[in-house]
Amino acid sequence: MASVDVALATISFKRKIAYKSTWIFSVVFGGWSLLAGLAVWNHLIGDGEMGGYDWQAMKAYLIIGFLTSTLAWAGSDWEMANRILDGLVAVDLTKPVDFQRARAGEYIGGMLASVPAALIGTAAAVVLFRPAGPVSPLAAALTAVSLLLIFPLAFGISYLSILTCFVTQRYLGIQWARDTMLAFFSGMMVPLALMPGWLQGVAWSLPFVHFTTTPASIYLGRVGTAGALGLLAAQAAWAVGLWVLGRLIWSQLVKKVTVHGG
Amino acid sequence: MPILEARNLTKTFRRPDKASGFKGAVKHLAQRKYKNYTAVDGIDLSIEPGESVAYVGPNGAGKSTTVKLLTGILRPSEGTVRVMGRDPHTERIANAHDIGVLFGQRTQLWWDLPVEESLKLLKHMYGVSDADYKARIARFDELLDLGEFMPALARTLSLGQRMRADLACALIHAPKMVYLDEPTIGLDISVKDRLRAFLRELVDDGTTLLLTSHDLADIEEVCERIVVIDKGAVAYDGPITQLKAHYITTKAVKLFLEEAADVPALELKYPQYEWAAGEAPSEVVVTYESARFTTAEVLGGLTAELSPRDLSLSEPSIEDVIRRLYAGELTK
Repeated sequence: MASVDVALATISFKRKIAYKSTWIFSVVFGGWSLLAGLAVWNHLIGDGEMGGYDWQAMKAYLIIGFLTSTLAWAGSDWEMANRILDGLVAVDLTKPVDFQRARAGEYIGGMLASVPAALIGTAAAVVLFRPAGPVSPLAAALTAVSLLLIFPLAFGISYLSILTCFVTQRYLGIQWARDTMLAFFSGMMVPLALMPGWLQGVAWSLPFVHFTTTPASIYLGRVGTAGALGLLAAQAAWAVGLWVLGRLIWSQLVKKVTVHGG
Repeated sequence: MPILEARNLTKTFRRPDKASGFKGAVKHLAQRKYKNYTAVDGIDLSIEPGESVAYVGPNGAGKSTTVKLLTGILRPSEGTVRVMGRDPHTERIANAHDIGVLFGQRTQLWWDLPVEESLKLLKHMYGVSDADYKARIARFDELLDLGEFMPALARTLSLGQRMRADLACALIHAPKMVYLDEPTIGLDISVKDRLRAFLRELVDDGTTLLLTSHDLADIEEVCERIVVIDKGAVAYDGPITQLKAHYITTKAVKLFLEEAADVPALELKYPQYEWAAGEAPSEVVVTYESARFTTAEVLGGLTAELSPRDLSLSEPSIEDVIRRLYAGELTK
């Protein structure tokens, strides 16, 4: 990784932690959502199970969901979108850096700023609720790989969604649509196992599923080692595919960039 | 060989053609109509290394669009641009290494971080060595008093400080070609003076400069050549001195008399000059053709006859010429 990528990620990290109250609020709010989720699912599952999850497994699933959602929503997509909408993209285009790579550095730096909050929240939840552990050390290692792949995957999805600002000149609706799809098809809201078969099929054909269902499935042993490797390969393929798609779309959009005014 | 060359540079935008009011909004939703608008219309421009060129025009004339075309931000609809032999749009990254850009109305500082952080990031982007970075920061500090607000968050800076910091950002990599789009907009006179002095130094050091500004003092103090554009096309391109010599054909002297001035009597007595009443009854303004009369001749005769208690000579200004160029009263 070149020093400019690290410098961009660092500056984005610093910008995120510059707003301490927002940062603290995100930890508290994220923790509150997790608590609410645990209470609801505890009530629903009781001593039984749903979709193959008993209470111990569901606690682990929800904590993984908390961790992945904290990471997935921590990027700087609004900052990127606003730069396009306000015309500051003109300034970005006068810099000797690849536009997509520079935005990736900034985005991932923003995500990294959420790691302390995600880890503190996760550690506290593990200590308080004692969820099921990983089925094996290998599953734990592969889960960690899946969690790391969330970084490029989240950037790929966010980058494609902010590129639409060049056409739509608005970001709010796009962001709502993206966040809804992410929350639903990742399994953050409801585990995929509880959805009808056809909907599970739709979910598995989209990249969102790799945000929560993939790491949780590997961690809890719902897939074997071969299945886990297959899921990781699919997750990595999505990250690469979205990157390439971003390049293709940008190569067309840059010809049509319009920045009015001085 | 020119450092910058644009031929038949044209940029056409598509704009929504929408009637006003609720009805217009609904109609546009159902049936979208667009109109083409030509912001830059066949501009030819050639700049030699080391030149300082003012690029001026009224609001909406196409100045900023031209700068965006020359810097590679926008792709021309027609025509070509070469900056140091490169197409700035298709070879954007290579071109960006050699140019510095300042948009007076758009900051390149990271809003929520100290100024120093923005400059350090740019150091990484441009691959500036530690020694060069230190030397340039020291120079900016000397000329722009940068040190006083280096640790301050960008969002806490005054406009003048922000502009000075942005100028440092645009020049941290010692670019060969610099584009400054309204660098003194909204600044007070003391900051303007400091910025102009800095820009003169930059030009003296051999940097090529293209400056757009509505402030004609920026232009006269910093640039040698002026390109006036109007409605996207070049209305004048040449040395500022030539513009003055060609279009400023008269000079004026204001006389402060002891008594009320009798303008009709003066018109009869000195029909070779133009006479006008001043702001006060004892003030009168005499205008004469600089090609026919020297100032010494005019003053010699008038001071002996009228014995004014004071006088003031109006220096030739390009402001009026440019205003007349904008208004279409003058031609190339």
